[in-house]
Amino acid sequence: MRPPELEDFDGTLTEQILQTVDTPVVILGPDGAIVRFNEASERLTGYSIDEAIGRKVWNFLIVDEEIDAVRSVFEKTRGEDTPTHFTNYWKTKDGRRRVLEWSNKTIHNDEGEVAYILATGVDITETQSTEFELSETQSYLQSIIDASPVAIITINEQGLIQSFSSEAEECFGYMKADVIGSNVNILMPEPDHSLHNQYIDAYLKTGKKRIINRARTVIAKRRNGDIFPAVLHITEFTDGERIFVGFVEDVTQQKTLERRLESTQLQLQHAGRIGAMGEIATSIAHELNQPLTAAASLAGAVSLTLKKADCPACKDAMPLLDDAVSEIRRASEIIRQMREFLRKRKTAKSLHNVNKVVEEASAIALIGAQTEGVKLTTDFESGIGEAQMDRIQIQQVIINLIRNAVDAMKESSEKRLTISTAKNADFIEIRVEDTGSGITAEMEKRLFEPFATSKKGGMGIGLSISRSIIDAHQGEIAAINKESLGSMFSIKLPTGNYDDAATDRKG
Amino acid sequence: MTTLQQTVKGDVFLVDDDVAVRRGVAALLTAADYHVTVFKSAEEFLSALNSLDRARAVLLVDVCMPGIQGLELQERLKEQGVELPCVVMTAHGDIPMAVRAMRNGATDFLEKPFTVDEVTAALDRALTLPQEIAIAPHRLPAEWPENLAKLTPRELEVFRGIVDGATNKEIARTLDVSPRTIEVHRHKIMLKMNADSFAELVRMAVALNVDGH
Repeated sequence: MRPPELEDFDGTLTEQILQTVDTPVVILGPDGAIVRFNEASERLTGYSIDEAIGRKVWNFLIVDEEIDAVRSVFEKTRGEDTPTHFTNYWKTKDGRRRVLEWSNKTIHNDEGEVAYILATGVDITETQSTEFELSETQSYLQSIIDASPVAIITINEQGLIQSFSSEAEECFGYMKADVIGSNVNILMPEPDHSLHNQYIDAYLKTGKKRIINRARTVIAKRRNGDIFPAVLHITEFTDGERIFVGFVEDVTQQKTLERRLESTQLQLQHAGRIGAMGEIATSIAHELNQPLTAAASLAGAVSLTLKKADCPACKDAMPLLDDAVSEIRRASEIIRQMREFLRKRKTAKSLHNVNKVVEEASAIALIGAQTEGVKLTTDFESGIGEAQMDRIQIQQVIINLIRNAVDAMKESSEKRLTISTAKNADFIEIRVEDTGSGITAEMEKRLFEPFATSKKGGMGIGLSISRSIIDAHQGEIAAINKESLGSMFSIKLPTGNYDDAATDRKG
Repeated sequence: MTTLQQTVKGDVFLVDDDVAVRRGVAALLTAADYHVTVFKSAEEFLSALNSLDRARAVLLVDVCMPGIQGLELQERLKEQGVELPCVVMTAHGDIPMAVRAMRNGATDFLEKPFTVDEVTAALDRALTLPQEIAIAPHRLPAEWPENLAKLTPRELEVFRGIVDGATNKEIARTLDVSPRTIEVHRHKIMLKMNADSFAELVRMAVALNVDGH
């Protein structure tokens, strides 16, 4: 039903409505000039009707950056019958900004031409600012997240990515837009790639935290397929649904460092193995050569005996015995070659900072060692300087001594490991002391001989190699039982200057 | 070992810590017409020394034994004024040890294991030659220094390397040439020095003081 028509009394009714509504209403002419400016607009802007009438809105009420937008909305509104909606700022007379949400409607005259444009606004400045604050907090958070050196990724219960920080973009090579909504398993290689959904399901069902709230090292996958080691830390929170936040730290650099350390270790182990094999080969060569010598001699004896017997059968047998002897010689030759091959390489000496060498060796020696309860004291003489050495070999010796020391203290109630360096005019001394079981009188004599060991499962190779290494450095290695508990091993190396001179003389 | 055979070539005092070696080598030398007395250590030999007939005898001793070693035994004999030719047995390829033994006055060295010919040649030379020949320069065969003079400086370097116990590879690295080159040098040295065996070459090197010790 149509409402009954109201008599306008020459526009008085319209005017009354216009002036009494508590919301700004503006009527513009077809050119955008203000023809009506109600009281609410006056209150809001600080401009009087007289100041406003006849002026185009964008010439004084619209903030500079929105003038173009407002004009284009005006054009659009003028061209259409349907109302338009627009939110923009108004600039008050004293320079403040208000946010207004407008509904615009075109009013045509009897000829169908655009007569007025009616704009009714709602001041939403206060509500808007709350929203602004919220989004400001969000963007503040976002900026923190984005500034974080750790990649931050959130996923929902389905494993779908909800957010993806800048560092995550950097780290994984995906853009935010590429991955939002994708399954997070695209960031992992197999087997995790296929199993990740099961991981989440299992957690949702059982509530058993396998990874949540504890950092662990995982392998992650970049967009280009490269994998990299990462430390992953996950927390969860509920925001309507459960959200998991993953903090991913690319530890490639750290791993590289560790790998470098590892490769030093491997190098040392290799040197150790070669040394051990050389040592073993020498021993085998000797041990095996004895029965071979006996066999060759016995065969020779038989051959000579047969020669004297002067029988036809003996004559046939003699070349066979000669063959036997030459085979024995061949066996001996093989052993000799093996020993030659494994013979300790000539030391490759250069100047190294003694304390650094000892420090590094100590760190390596204690990796993976059963060091529970072991108290370490280091006493490095400062300014000890450099000495000529084959670093790898010397470190091998130090590592060997430290590991022995730790082993020797297995049963001790007091486990004190002391590593020290000192220097005097002629030599540099490196000491490794323990509070372990000490050296038995029986072991003392054979301590540095191959295959002499008091350790269960020990080869008795370590100290004999150590001695050959120190010998090759024109140094000394010695061990004593301390007056108090335990033993002390000492390595003495000629000082750098002395050795330099010696090298120079040799040319 | 008390029964002397008619054709006996001489007495051999065999010192080795390994029982199988003693038995084998003794059997070999007995079959080769030597009169062999065995000792299981240098200590045992030293304590029996005064009761031994050393008129035509040679000491055949392993350089590497527990307790008193071959080289030390040589020194003790020298100290006691005992003139006894000495042939040392070394591990195969242990040239530095052999050189030290020769410098110590050994007349020869044998690398274990050895053949009948090698051991008899070494023992016979020790039994027939006066001991000093190996070390007394004035009694050197005249051609040795002459031969040495024929070596080029590079060959002389290689010669020193060899008697120092270095391998071809090691010498090659030191002199910055290929191991094959060293082999060629080595062959030429043997030819120029007119040495029948490596042992003889080492003997020459020691007598001529090639390595400057």
